[in-house]
Amino acid sequence: MPSSRRPSRFSRVVLDGPLFPFLMILPALIVLGLVIGLPILEALRLSFDTIALRRPAMAGTYGFHNYLKLFTDPRTYSALWLSCLYMAGTVVGSIILALTAALLTRRVVRFSGLTRLIFLLPWTVPAVVTALVWGVMYDGNFGVINRLIDFIPFIGGHNWLVERQTALASLIVAQVWNEFPMAYVFFLAGLKAIPDELYEAAAIDRANALQQFLFITLPQLRYIMAVIVILVMIMGFKSFPIIYILTGGGPAGATETLTILTYNTAFRSLDFSYAATLGILAVLASILLVLGYLKLLPRSGNEGTT
Amino acid sequence: MTAPSPGMSASPLALALRMSGIVVLGLMVLFPIYWMIVVALTPTGFGRQITTFLPQTITLDNFVSLFTARPMARWIGNSIIVATLSSALSLVFGVSCGYALSRLRFRGASLLLIAVLATQMMPATSIIVPLYMLFRSWGLLDTMQGMVAGHISLVVPLAIWMSKGFFDSIPRDLEHAARIDGCTHAGAFFFIALPLAAPGLAAIFIYGFVTSWHDFLFSHTLVTSQELWTAANGIASFRGEYFTLQEMQMAAALVFALPVVIVFFIMQRWIVSGALAGAVR
Repeated sequence: MPSSRRPSRFSRVVLDGPLFPFLMILPALIVLGLVIGLPILEALRLSFDTIALRRPAMAGTYGFHNYLKLFTDPRTYSALWLSCLYMAGTVVGSIILALTAALLTRRVVRFSGLTRLIFLLPWTVPAVVTALVWGVMYDGNFGVINRLIDFIPFIGGHNWLVERQTALASLIVAQVWNEFPMAYVFFLAGLKAIPDELYEAAAIDRANALQQFLFITLPQLRYIMAVIVILVMIMGFKSFPIIYILTGGGPAGATETLTILTYNTAFRSLDFSYAATLGILAVLASILLVLGYLKLLPRSGNEGTT
Repeated sequence: MTAPSPGMSASPLALALRMSGIVVLGLMVLFPIYWMIVVALTPTGFGRQITTFLPQTITLDNFVSLFTARPMARWIGNSIIVATLSSALSLVFGVSCGYALSRLRFRGASLLLIAVLATQMMPATSIIVPLYMLFRSWGLLDTMQGMVAGHISLVVPLAIWMSKGFFDSIPRDLEHAARIDGCTHAGAFFFIALPLAAPGLAAIFIYGFVTSWHDFLFSHTLVTSQELWTAANGIASFRGEYFTLQEMQMAAALVFALPVVIVFFIMQRWIVSGALAGAVR
């Protein structure tokens, strides 16, 4: 290992001294600045400008008109509401599915690897593939879901992605299928951390399985549950390929969440300035979610000590 | 919901209930994957005519025509190039930052960590609009370089967080010893910490590769020429183009998903712990 016997001034200040941390973070800072910082600044600039195909002569007209539109356009509120519904649906669906799977497999002794792999598998499936598979299964005429639903009484077949009432829920199901394994992994870890003594004590007190679940398992999972809720919300809020490929925001805006509205405004309506404004709204909303997440982390921030 | 107690021998009935629960839930979860395989193996145009839940005639024609009638090989090649470059570059740019965040004290460290986390969690659609406009003026639209740059914005935050996690898990003693022997901070990083973190770096590279491989938004938006499409973009186009030909869609979806599934199973432990790094600690 090359140890410099006679440290030069450069080595003392830059490689070893007060400037070293900044040298280390510099490459990442430059890259992040170029591919994320600069676009955000450009988004801010765009949001005051008027870059839209329908008004080509207005370019360079700066003002607050995009923000005015943001607050007055009912589509904004509709998109925010749909994003909230989508997040709520994915949170509830993921937690029920993941918790059930985790409770069922937590103490499986034989084939434990196999059972876990089954519930992890959808995680490895790309979102694009998830969209295509569910698209085929949801097919209105001869889709396999409509054939399976025949086995269940009182629920008729639907053209799931085309009908207003079913489109959003159908997308949520596909999203939950794709991303519940993350929650599953967290729940398995959380269940593992619950001390066995708690259950033993409960067994001595003759608590039944339901009581054990309600009064030991659930309270003990409180923290991990909160983390999962926020992470699943963030993933649901960001979700793009599944919605875009399956419905593109349709039918008639019934699945146009904030991310889809942003994209459609830019690349279908070609109003880049307003799209940038919607993008800023989305960033602000995601910052709220991140702050919620950070509040949960017990020791957030820099733990570095040398 | 069953939450039996450990230490007590579960009754055979409870065990049977649990196993049947696993089987039912497992079948539900696996069904979409099973159905993808069934439809992909069905002759083109016959996917809608399957009346049972088994393939009626099995054929590999859909897979063959993917590569003969469609530029699937080219798209996969593009994906490999873009994913390799963006993941490797992100690692190069991100790893020293991850080390600094794990080991060094400096002003603004926690702010940087939060900012990196925030960039990872905001919707990519917010970035893509201004990025598109910037790339348009820089002439980077419809180029491989532009797509790699776009993917780097996805992978760098990940590389920083994950490498911080790996350095956190490596004992500092060796670096301390080297420092006492007169090694500089930079030397300790390059000659001690980096080699120790090598398996972790490999895992980060693969995770970044998979992230880029999966990406649809950037590939779909920044590139329009069909010969520059990535596989994600190519197979997604099948839904619009071959709306009626489900079999080809499913064959393409399988070909696209399979390498990642295989990699995942080989690296399962690392990937799961990597995904958890920074989340629960």
